[in-house]
Amino acid sequence: MAWTCEQIEEGLSDYLDDLLGPAERVEFAAHLDSCARCAPMAAQVSRLVAGLHRLEPVEPPPQLVTAILDRTIGPKLSKKSLFGRMEILWQPRFVLGLATVAATLAIVFHSMGARASRPTLANLSPASVYRSADRHAHLAYARSVKFVNDLRLVYEIQSRLQTQPPPEPAPEPANAPGQQAPAKKSSGQVNHAIPHGPLPVLCAEAVVNLQQRWVR
Amino acid sequence: MDPDAQLVQLCLRGDGLAWEDLVRRHTRRIYYLCYRFTGNRHESEDLTQDVFLRIYRTLVNYRAAQGTFATWITSVARNLLIDHYRRTRRDRQTSSLDDDESRVQEQEAPGRKPDQLAQVSELSHQVQRALQRLSPELREAVILRDLQGLDYREIQQVLAVPEGTVKSRINRGRIELGRVLEQMGIRPE
Repeated sequence: MAWTCEQIEEGLSDYLDDLLGPAERVEFAAHLDSCARCAPMAAQVSRLVAGLHRLEPVEPPPQLVTAILDRTIGPKLSKKSLFGRMEILWQPRFVLGLATVAATLAIVFHSMGARASRPTLANLSPASVYRSADRHAHLAYARSVKFVNDLRLVYEIQSRLQTQPPPEPAPEPANAPGQQAPAKKSSGQVNHAIPHGPLPVLCAEAVVNLQQRWVR
Repeated sequence: MDPDAQLVQLCLRGDGLAWEDLVRRHTRRIYYLCYRFTGNRHESEDLTQDVFLRIYRTLVNYRAAQGTFATWITSVARNLLIDHYRRTRRDRQTSSLDDDESRVQEQEAPGRKPDQLAQVSELSHQVQRALQRLSPELREAVILRDLQGLDYREIQQVLAVPEGTVKSRINRGRIELGRVLEQMGIRPE
C-alpha cells in the first residue's frame, strides 16, 4: 500500500505511538524518507511528543489537600497537621515554662503537706490545708533557729581558739613550801577565764559553757 | 484488587483516613490536569477541590468493573473542566497565564543539570501558552495522552467517544500544538 500525504498526517500518532503493524510501519517510514512535506512535520511532532514527556508536573500548593478534606469530611486533624501542631510542645521555651510551673506546684503542694504518693481529697479541705501549712511553718522556723544557733556555736569556738595564746612548754614548777595550793573551784561555779589545755578539752568546755548560757 | 478500589470500599464504610489517602494519592495528578487545561493556578485549585467534592458525593456510584478509579476521577475532572471552559468563555483571556511560579518549581526538579532545567522550564512555559490556543477537544486529548500518560483506551473512557475519534483528536492536537509552537519560535529539542 502506498501512503498519501493525507494518510501520513492522519496516521502520524499511530506511527509515533507504535500502533502500526510491522508492514505498515515500514511503508510509513519509506514515505517519510521520500517526502519533503511530511518528513519535517513528522520530525516536529516527534520532538514535541518527546518534549512533552520530559516535562515535570506542576506541584499543587501544600494546603490544597487540607482544603479538600475540609470541604468533604469537615475540618479535622490529619496526621500531619496534628503532628505539626504538637511541634510547639517541643520548643525549649515551652518546655522550660512547663518545668517552672511544675516545680512551683510541687513546692506549693509539698508545703501544704500533700503527698503525691497518696493524694486524698481531704488534703484539699481548708482546715487541713491551714493545719498543714501552720505545722510546716513552725517546723521551718524551728529548723532555721537551730541552724543559726549551731552557726553561732561554731563561730564562737572559732573565735575563742583564735584568741587563745600559744601554750608555753615550760615545766610546771613544784609548789614551794609555805606556798598555798590554789583553791579548788566549786562544782557550781562557772569558769569564765580563758582555759588552758589540749584542743578537744577546750572545745568541750566551750560547748558546755555556751549551752549553759543559752539555757539561761 | 486495585488499591484505590479498596480505599473506596473503606470510604463507603465511613473510614475518614481512607478518604484522606485517596485524596493524597490523586490530588497532584488532578491539579496538574486542571492547571494544564486552564493555565491558571487559582482556578486549578478551585477546580481540584470541586472534583473531589463531586467524587465524595458520588463515591457510591463508582464501579470498579467499569474502569479504574483514576480513570473515573479523570473523567469527572474533564467534565468539570469543560463546564468551566464554557462558563468562562466570554471573560477568559488567553494571555492570563501565571507560569512564573511553575517555572521556579520545575527548576527545582532533582536529577537534572541547570541547563536542562532551564530548557525544560522554558518549554513548559511555552507549551502552556500554546495549549491555550488549541480548542478544548484537542487540548484535553493532548493533555491526557502526553502529559497525563493515559493510553488510548483510558482516554476513550474519559472522553466517552469512539476510539477513532480519540486517535484523530490526539493526532490533530499534536500537529496543531507543534504548529503553534513553531509560530511562537519554539522548537523542542
